[in-house]
Amino acid sequence: MTPCVRLQDVSVSFRTSDQPVQALANVNLEIGEGEFVALLGPTGCGKSTLLRVVSDLEHPATGVVEVRGRPAAAARQANEFGFVFQEPALLPWRSAIDNVMLPLEVVNYPAGERRARCERLLEMVGLTKFMNRYPHELSGGMKQRVAIVRALAWNPSILLMDEPFSALDELTKAELQDELLRIWARERKTIVFVTHNLSEAVYLADRVAVMSAHPGRIVATLSVELPRAREPGLRETLEFLQQVKRAREALTR
Amino acid sequence: MKESLLQRLIPPALILCAVLGVWEMLVRGLDLPPWLLPAPSAIAVRFVKATNLLYHTGLTVLEALAGFAASAVIGITLSGLIVHSRFLERGVFPYIIVSNAIPIIAIIPLLTIWFGFGIAPKIMIAAIITFFPIVTNTTRGLKSADRRILDFMRSINATRREIFFKVQLPSALPYIFAGFKIAASLSLVGAVVAEFYSSDRGLGYLVITSATQLRTDLLFVSIIVLATLGVLLFALFGHLERMSLRGEAAIEVNR
Repeated sequence: MTPCVRLQDVSVSFRTSDQPVQALANVNLEIGEGEFVALLGPTGCGKSTLLRVVSDLEHPATGVVEVRGRPAAAARQANEFGFVFQEPALLPWRSAIDNVMLPLEVVNYPAGERRARCERLLEMVGLTKFMNRYPHELSGGMKQRVAIVRALAWNPSILLMDEPFSALDELTKAELQDELLRIWARERKTIVFVTHNLSEAVYLADRVAVMSAHPGRIVATLSVELPRAREPGLRETLEFLQQVKRAREALTR
Repeated sequence: MKESLLQRLIPPALILCAVLGVWEMLVRGLDLPPWLLPAPSAIAVRFVKATNLLYHTGLTVLEALAGFAASAVIGITLSGLIVHSRFLERGVFPYIIVSNAIPIIAIIPLLTIWFGFGIAPKIMIAAIITFFPIVTNTTRGLKSADRRILDFMRSINATRREIFFKVQLPSALPYIFAGFKIAASLSLVGAVVAEFYSSDRGLGYLVITSATQLRTDLLFVSIIVLATLGVLLFALFGHLERMSLRGEAAIEVNR
C-alpha cells in the first residue's frame, strides 16, 4: 500500500546573511493513510519547515516528497491539505462562519451547500451560538476551534497542524486535544501534528517522530503503545508516563 | 459606562463659547478696528451675508475631491502592483519618495504654464499632494496581511487575484482609510494653495482677495469654512477606519 505521505532524503536550506542554514537534512518519513503522527522537537528543529515541504509551500533542495504517490504540488492542486497554525489567523472582518466559508469560496465548493456545511462543522465543535460573532468577540479556544473547522471545510484528506494548541491555557488545551481526537476518529483524516510538548505528542499520536536541530533531522520514530479511544484520565496513568519518558529519552539522547 | 455623543460635546462647546465671549469683549472693550481683528459677531454676520460663498466653497471642494479621487484610484492601483512585483517596488518607490520631497508650491507655476488657469492644475496639485500618504499607507496595509493566512490561501491554491481581494485588500482597509484621513486635509491644502497662485474663484481666491483688500471678516469666514471642511473629511475617514478595524487595535500611519 502506498503511504499517504512519503519523504525521502529531504533536505532544505535557507540563505541567510552570512551562510546557508540547513533547516532539514536527509529527512525520511512515511505516514500511513489515516495515521496521526506528531513531529516532536525543540524550537528551530525544522518541524514547521517539514509541514511546509509536505504541503508544497516550501521546495526541498534535494529529496522526494510524495503525497499518495504523487508529487506534493499535485496534492496541493487537488486541495488535499488543511492547515492549522499556532495562532488562529482568522480574518478579523469576517464572522466565525464567514471565516470557515473562506476556503470554500476558493476551492469551488458548490455555492448552495457552503453555509449548511459550515454550520454543521461549527456545530460539531459546539460553536453554533457563536457563528455570527467576529473573532475579537471569541475566546482563544473558540478561535482555534474555528481555525480547525476552517481547515476541514472542504474535506481535505490531510490535516497539517503547526503547534495549534501551544498558545492556549492548559484547560483549553486539554479540551481541544480531546476534541481533535473526536474529530479525527469521526473524519478519519491523516494528521501531521507539530508540537514541542511531550505529553501532547504522546496523548494524541499513533507515532511520534522525534526531531533535533542544527541541522533539523528525525532522530527517532516511536510508536505510541497506548490504546486508542484515549480519555483524559489516561494522562495520569503509569503507562502514559512511561510513553512520555520514552519520548523524552529519544529527544535528549 | 459609555458617554453619549452629547456628553462628549459639552466640554469643547463650553470652551468655544468662553473663547468667543472673551474675544468679543476684547474687541469691543479695546475698540479694535475690524481690519485688524473683527469680532466673532461681525464674522457671523459676514458669513450669513457673504455672496457666492457656497459657489467658492463648492469649487474648492470639487477640485480637492477630484484630485483626491484620482490620487486614490491611481495610488491604490499602483500599490497593488507594487506588492506583486519586487521590480516595480524597487523601481518606483524611490520616485514616490522624491515626489514627496519636491515642494508642491514650486510645481504650481509649471502646471499653470501647461494647463492654464482653469481647475485642471488645481485638481492635479490636490492629486500630487495626496499621492504619497495614499501610496505608502496602502502599500504598508497590503503587506500587513497575516503571513499565515497567506500560506493558508496558497495551500488551497488560491489565485493571486483571490488572495488580493479576499485577504490583502481587506487587511489594508484600515491603513487605506488612515491614509485617506491625512490625504483629505492635504487635498484641501493643495487646492487652496493652487488657487492662491492663479485663480479668480474658489476659497483660495477668497482668502487672497479678502487679505489684500483687508476684509478681515471675510478672511476669517474663509478660514472657518476650510477648517470645517477639513474636520468633516477627517471625521468621515476616521469613522470608516474604525469600522474597518472590527475591534482590532488601531494602526500607526505614515505621514
